[in-house]
Amino acid sequence: MDVEAIRAKVKESIFKVTGIEAATISDSAVYVAELGLDSLSILEIAVSVEEQFKFHASDEELSAIRTVDDTVELVRRRICAAVA
Amino acid sequence: MSAKPTVVVTGIGMVTSIGAGRHAFWNALLAGTCGFAPVKSFDTSAYSVHLGAEIQNFKAEDYVRTLDVNSIGRSSQLAIAAARLALADASLDLTEVDLEHAGVCGGTTSGEPQFIERFDDHYVHDELRKVGQEFITGYPCHVVPCHVAMELGFSGETMMIPTACAAGNYAIAHASDLLRAKKASVMLAGGADSFSRITYTGFARLGAIAPEVCQPFDRNRKGMVPGEGAAMLLLELKDHAIARGARIYCEVAGYGLSCDAHHMTAAHPQGEGAARAIRMALDQSGIAPEEVDYISAHGTGTPTNDRLETIAVKNTFKKQAYKIPISSIKSMLGHTMGAASAIEAAVCALAITEGHIPPTVNWKEQDPECDLDYVPNVARKHNVRIAMNNAYAFGGNNSSLIFRARAV
Amino acid sequence: MQKRVAITGMGVISSLGDSPATLHSSLCNGKTSIYQFDESHLNGSGGKGSGRIAAFRAESYLKGKNLRPLDRTGQLVVAGAGLALEDSGWTPEHLTEYPVGLVLGTMFGSLHTIAKFDRHALEQGPGCASPMDFANTVINAAAGQTAIWHNLRGINSTISSGSASGLAALGYATDLIRFAGQTAVLAGGADEFCFESFCGFEHAGMLHSSGSLELPVPFHASRTGFALGEAVGLLMLEEWETAMARGAHILAEIRGHGSAYDSSRQDRGMAVRSIVRAMADALDDAGMSPREVTCISASANGSIREDQDEAVAIQSLFNGSSQSIPITAIKSMIGETLGASGSLQAIDLVETMRSGLLPGIPGLGQKDPLLPELNFCCEQQEINQCHGLVNSIGLDGNVYSLVISRGPEKT
Repeated sequence: MDVEAIRAKVKESIFKVTGIEAATISDSAVYVAELGLDSLSILEIAVSVEEQFKFHASDEELSAIRTVDDTVELVRRRICAAVA
Repeated sequence: MSAKPTVVVTGIGMVTSIGAGRHAFWNALLAGTCGFAPVKSFDTSAYSVHLGAEIQNFKAEDYVRTLDVNSIGRSSQLAIAAARLALADASLDLTEVDLEHAGVCGGTTSGEPQFIERFDDHYVHDELRKVGQEFITGYPCHVVPCHVAMELGFSGETMMIPTACAAGNYAIAHASDLLRAKKASVMLAGGADSFSRITYTGFARLGAIAPEVCQPFDRNRKGMVPGEGAAMLLLELKDHAIARGARIYCEVAGYGLSCDAHHMTAAHPQGEGAARAIRMALDQSGIAPEEVDYISAHGTGTPTNDRLETIAVKNTFKKQAYKIPISSIKSMLGHTMGAASAIEAAVCALAITEGHIPPTVNWKEQDPECDLDYVPNVARKHNVRIAMNNAYAFGGNNSSLIFRARAV
Repeated sequence: MQKRVAITGMGVISSLGDSPATLHSSLCNGKTSIYQFDESHLNGSGGKGSGRIAAFRAESYLKGKNLRPLDRTGQLVVAGAGLALEDSGWTPEHLTEYPVGLVLGTMFGSLHTIAKFDRHALEQGPGCASPMDFANTVINAAAGQTAIWHNLRGINSTISSGSASGLAALGYATDLIRFAGQTAVLAGGADEFCFESFCGFEHAGMLHSSGSLELPVPFHASRTGFALGEAVGLLMLEEWETAMARGAHILAEIRGHGSAYDSSRQDRGMAVRSIVRAMADALDDAGMSPREVTCISASANGSIREDQDEAVAIQSLFNGSSQSIPITAIKSMIGETLGASGSLQAIDLVETMRSGLLPGIPGLGQKDPLLPELNFCCEQQEINQCHGLVNSIGLDGNVYSLVISRGPEKT
């Protein structure tokens, strides 16, 4: 799956949890500062992404997520690892 | 300040992972005994953490005499045990109690979670027909104080205040108000929670559970350890206690309650709501900050709570904060949820009468952001006239309870 | 001198309307919301009457913010609180200046979320559990969510006394104003309708089964049980002098409250005595005698035992005057709304005093002959109401009573 497709699905998860339309979310958006999200919402987005892509992130990986890009990168890394 | 009738603590009882009853519990606490072990009550192999603070070898039949022990849930059993221990500790003769003015005020986070967990087990196996009447009679959280009242024959006000991890403080505060308003002559107040799969799953999902040890305020702390327990305090008006020759532990001087209105699971970043609760408690008690001799902390061991709690204490007490010993017994008991602040209230009463304060164990390295005196690792003899008990819950519920040595 | 407690606003969302006036009008017209609902909600439990609020849409009450963090119970309470705050004139600006409290009575909290969270983890693994749902599994979640939404920073508490929770919350909040220096506290109760609680009550044999009676009718000879409903009812309680000082419209006054617990659970005599005690203590707390009560809002919901106990207790306490005091039972139309029930009764009693009309009990043609001769109102009647008594008799022995007096005439 290419990065754009991953990004689209991540934005789907963000919309599902926050109601923020995907089209308004920049690719590098910072969750707290730009999207105004709290820690619970960020974790909920991560859980939704895990469910979409069928993997489990570790607590360390989850606590490092700050931006949309971080989330996309986490998925990309996990998908590559799964394929390898 | 108007002269309100004085509420006193005359009996304490608790069931915990490090001991049941005042003497066993207190000795274990001062010795720094920890109640942590791998979780046994359900399979944690699919979880990334496995540590809990369950009560081992609890025999409910040792305490439950009136009710059928098999008809009530574990939280009710623990609450009844704590209540019976408190009554025995208070040397309260039930035949001399005005039962119509004897009530029970409980606190909890989950109530009787095993009943809904069993309901869900039936559901996922397509066996809902197996759900019997015990779900409605055993599950709703208010049945816990009801079972205590039924066991003892108390028929005054009986209420559950399920304000989660601050519930014990809320229960003691309300019971005190009822006594002062002369709506009750004795009240059992406290909290109970039994080990819950739902609670464990949730905290694990939040990444809040420590993998190996609970070490509040330590630089390398990684989280809390879910536990279970119950504590009950017998409260009465001072005149009533003196008239029956009761031993008085201490006075309930006052309380403060507030709400952050900020976040469901994380405290206010400047500890604003917690500070307001502390100030309300001090005002209600007529006590100045410099008079506080000991603080029983909420101190769960999560990176966030311990840092924000430290900020709240510093905001309220300013430089005086560095002179007040503040310890977290969750370092030994784990987080007993709705029972926590009730057990910690009992600890405050004991600290006052024994002149001894429990340690925060497993403390190895100072966190620059947590630089107060947390009584690291070793219990300390300390003259305590005023003790404060702080507890904070999901939903931003903040509470502070102040106990004062009996005025001579 | 004891502080007086004023009711300055009310908010309700129920299956018979989302304003106190609409609810009251529906009740006076004998409208019932209890209906057979489709089995997809019941998971095969079979059709029984219920008062689920089918048309509830949180979006129509809660605008401009993400609703995902709120579950059904949270949505009901946040929406109900908004209505009560608006009705009492507390604006968002005022709420930034002053910490208003919230005391919510609830029997189950967010039972459906608790169960859903647990089942999802059981079926998909604990790694798939929802953090947002977990935040709503604590029984005080709705009160916390409401405080966040409306900036309520005062004392925030959740009270559970079974189906008497709403009235217990009103009593608790009254005491916060009288004894703990609070001047404004939103108080009442809520419980959602969910299949988990429905299944539980049904398996316990407590629900109405249609036989000769199509719908549950309190005090009826053929009653078999209650219909489960859902609602939120919240009242703004304020210390009288501060309410007057801010120019609030005082709708009514809470004069007193009382409670008792039937610890026997087997002894009918003790059950009746505990109801008598709660009512007597409420009147004593109000500084009133039974003779001064001009109407009673009964807790009766169609339960065989509890309806009878309440009737016997009323006769016992009110004695000679019991035959003339009109008694209504609104659960005949709205069902048993558990934690919300007492607050709905209180709200309707306030509307009764304002309108001069008391709702009747539709279908009560044939009162149970085992019950004492009391003045059960079969249809709406005009009434000159000054002081009303509200009862909440829980399913597990908790009993609460509240005395409400008519507010001052609006000048």
